[in-house]
Amino acid sequence: MKIFTSLKLLFLASVLLATACPSSATVATHPSSGEKLAAQQVFTYRMGAEPPSIDPQLVEDVEGSAVARDLFEGLLTQKADGSLAPGVAERWELNPAKTIYTFHLRKNARWSNGEPVTAHDFVYAWRRAVDPKLASPYAGYLELTTLKNVSAVIRGEMPTTALGVSAIDDYTLQAELDAPLAYFPTMLVHSTTMPTPQKVIEQYGDSWSRPNHLVGNGAYVLTEHVLNERMVRVRNPLYWNNQNTILDKVIGLIIDDESQAYNRYQANELDKTEVPTGQFKRLQKERPAETFSSPRLCSYYYMFNLDKAPFDDQRVRQALSYAIDRDIITNNILGAGQIPAYTFTPGSTANFSVPEVALASMSRNDRIKTAKALLAEAGFGPSRPLKTTIFYNTSEGHKKIAIAISQMWKQRLGVQVTLQNQEWKTFLSTRGAGDFEIARGAWCGDYNEASTFLDLMRSGSDQNDMRYKNARIDQLLAEAKTLADPNPNYAQIEQIVATEAPIIPIYHYTGVMLLKPYVKGWPHQNVEANWYSREMYITEH
Amino acid sequence: MLSFILRRLAIAIPTILLIITLSFVLMHAAPGGPFSAERNLPPEVLANIEQRYGLDKPLYQQIFVYVSGIVTEFDFGPSFKYKNQSVNDLIASGFPVTLVYGFWSFVCASVLGISLGVIAALKHNSWLDYAATGSAILGSVLPNFVMAPLLVLLFTVYLNWLPGGGWEGGQIQFIIMPVIALATSYLAGITRITRSSMLEVLGSNFIRSARAKGLPAHHIILRHALKPALLPVLTSLGLSFVGMITGSVVIDQYFSTGGIGQHFVNAALNRDYSVIMGVTILVGSLTILFNLLVEILYAWIDPRIRY
Repeated sequence: MKIFTSLKLLFLASVLLATACPSSATVATHPSSGEKLAAQQVFTYRMGAEPPSIDPQLVEDVEGSAVARDLFEGLLTQKADGSLAPGVAERWELNPAKTIYTFHLRKNARWSNGEPVTAHDFVYAWRRAVDPKLASPYAGYLELTTLKNVSAVIRGEMPTTALGVSAIDDYTLQAELDAPLAYFPTMLVHSTTMPTPQKVIEQYGDSWSRPNHLVGNGAYVLTEHVLNERMVRVRNPLYWNNQNTILDKVIGLIIDDESQAYNRYQANELDKTEVPTGQFKRLQKERPAETFSSPRLCSYYYMFNLDKAPFDDQRVRQALSYAIDRDIITNNILGAGQIPAYTFTPGSTANFSVPEVALASMSRNDRIKTAKALLAEAGFGPSRPLKTTIFYNTSEGHKKIAIAISQMWKQRLGVQVTLQNQEWKTFLSTRGAGDFEIARGAWCGDYNEASTFLDLMRSGSDQNDMRYKNARIDQLLAEAKTLADPNPNYAQIEQIVATEAPIIPIYHYTGVMLLKPYVKGWPHQNVEANWYSREMYITEH
Repeated sequence: MLSFILRRLAIAIPTILLIITLSFVLMHAAPGGPFSAERNLPPEVLANIEQRYGLDKPLYQQIFVYVSGIVTEFDFGPSFKYKNQSVNDLIASGFPVTLVYGFWSFVCASVLGISLGVIAALKHNSWLDYAATGSAILGSVLPNFVMAPLLVLLFTVYLNWLPGGGWEGGQIQFIIMPVIALATSYLAGITRITRSSMLEVLGSNFIRSARAKGLPAHHIILRHALKPALLPVLTSLGLSFVGMITGSVVIDQYFSTGGIGQHFVNAALNRDYSVIMGVTILVGSLTILFNLLVEILYAWIDPRIRY
């Protein structure tokens, strides 16, 4: 046994040498751009919080996803612009009924313990994701893919083996859907669908994702994890495309406070951090080459409770939406390139063209005039002012926006607004129980397609806290899944949402960050901010 | 003395059980749960999660399962938030960190606080008194969350002497700022109690007779006055010690130390039930333990006290 272990070590060491040596000796310049590379290829960045998990099937936050993308590789990945790139799957086919996807996997993909990555690993991982015993918070994600039997498996009514995924052979994976879903491949970038090593998980149980146990198939392996302090990953010599990886080591430092992170960025302890709230304009002037703002697949909105009068009246909702100047909020309060929102789906969503909604093209005076008229029609005016409460979770940023909006409503429509903030979990509980009239909401897309937003408008959607019901929207959404070009449907839905105003879209997010000028390869154009360390490098500085 | 200690320990068990029950009930009474998020979970997914963590059982059963897990296996349960960590893991990784910076903060705060307090009392109402109490109060009117950024701006950003955060196994350069920030917040309290208690003792009869006997001043202060003057200080030091070694949310989060201080607040915000319970029991037991130690020390310092 001992001999075997030392042989294995020797083998690993020789692989390491064989792969690492030529690259570090010869790669002094970047192979395509020709830039001079730094001798030390180490990237240190701020993680805003300790991720609840880095287990692909359990990952639920942005930080954990970034780590999972380095440690594991799914069927498909993304290029810098967010478009699909082959991962473990080299290509795929679709049957004429458009319900069965057949993926052909590359034969040179290896786990970090040297074993080949096969179709069985994906079958195991997908079944695991929906297994009631694992109880993943992201089981619902696979439900969105409409994989055959997925809901019944989650409810425990069918065994996990009934899930519509199977291995035809070691390198052919088949996924069967209940109905055609044009954007199914797009959804496979998400970490929930990444493969996981059955043997290792069965051996170590919940602690399999710790540094000394974790086996992955990504470009990096986890070498250190100190809870609430740091997470370190180094390149994986067994990764199939290791010869094209340049960055040797990635260090994530967990820093809760954004201004402290900025201090440490200034002290060169970090190569990347977020721009502290309200400092974007100043930093853009002081550090123009390091300050970036790019659109994100996220929307900030206010929702109405349609079960509560007078918000069951479309005119009242419309009036309140019309009376808000989005550009004042984006320019004067946020000031980091955020985009005023008149539709729920951000314009940066792939293949989505923002429809022309009336509200967006009206002048301020027209909007206010219309708003006043609508509210008067609904029976509210100086003699009978509308009184309401805005609910939001405790945060300086939300407060500023709520104050601005309440002032706009007061000055323009005479609405008397009370602001009420609640601690996060209490807020969620209040909102979920429907104990509100108007509440703040935010939504980020799970995948780059408009349905990830518009599904919130579906009657009975788990996310539909507005209690909004529109049969036409339900029909358009169902139809869109099977269409080659669902855009006309999405445009219609946005038009209905703009008219009936169950929500008030306020702005679309931007990601604002500081990145040292010597860090290259960051995918600024990727609206999902899905970055892969293997695409990045450090130039001489 | 031994029977006193045994009696105290016997009372500690029902006390801790009471703490557990109260925290458990309060915690579950708070709105929202560990698995609520911006994204509402589909009901079938939520049901699976609640079953996995035993939240589908009635509350009294949950308490019973929880307590029996502690008694039989010393298992404080899995964290609801951090999926591959148990509460035991969280405490095992975080407590040694806060123990280190908390211990040094305690040493600095008590040595400096007591010295300043004694000086202030001896030079009562002089500029030295004002300087000593003034500087101690200055340290505590600047709360942690102001002190920590000031330290970082000075030592990290401008002077570049110390790393802005991290722990790296507890190397000295990572400990200095957390210790300063934590110690200063306790300093004023210790200084003021020492000062007033010292003043009281210095005015008492046995000190007057010691002076009348012509004993040298340092002898009077160190041999006779200090010991009784320290009694009330000791009471507050016992509790401060527990407070310091269990860390502070500001220090842990601001300096990314990885200590357990942050769990006190974060676990409550996250509704991470098992972690809330774990840290509550930890602080509860430490408080009981150190109160007992303080009482034992009383008897040693003051011969009039006998149990």
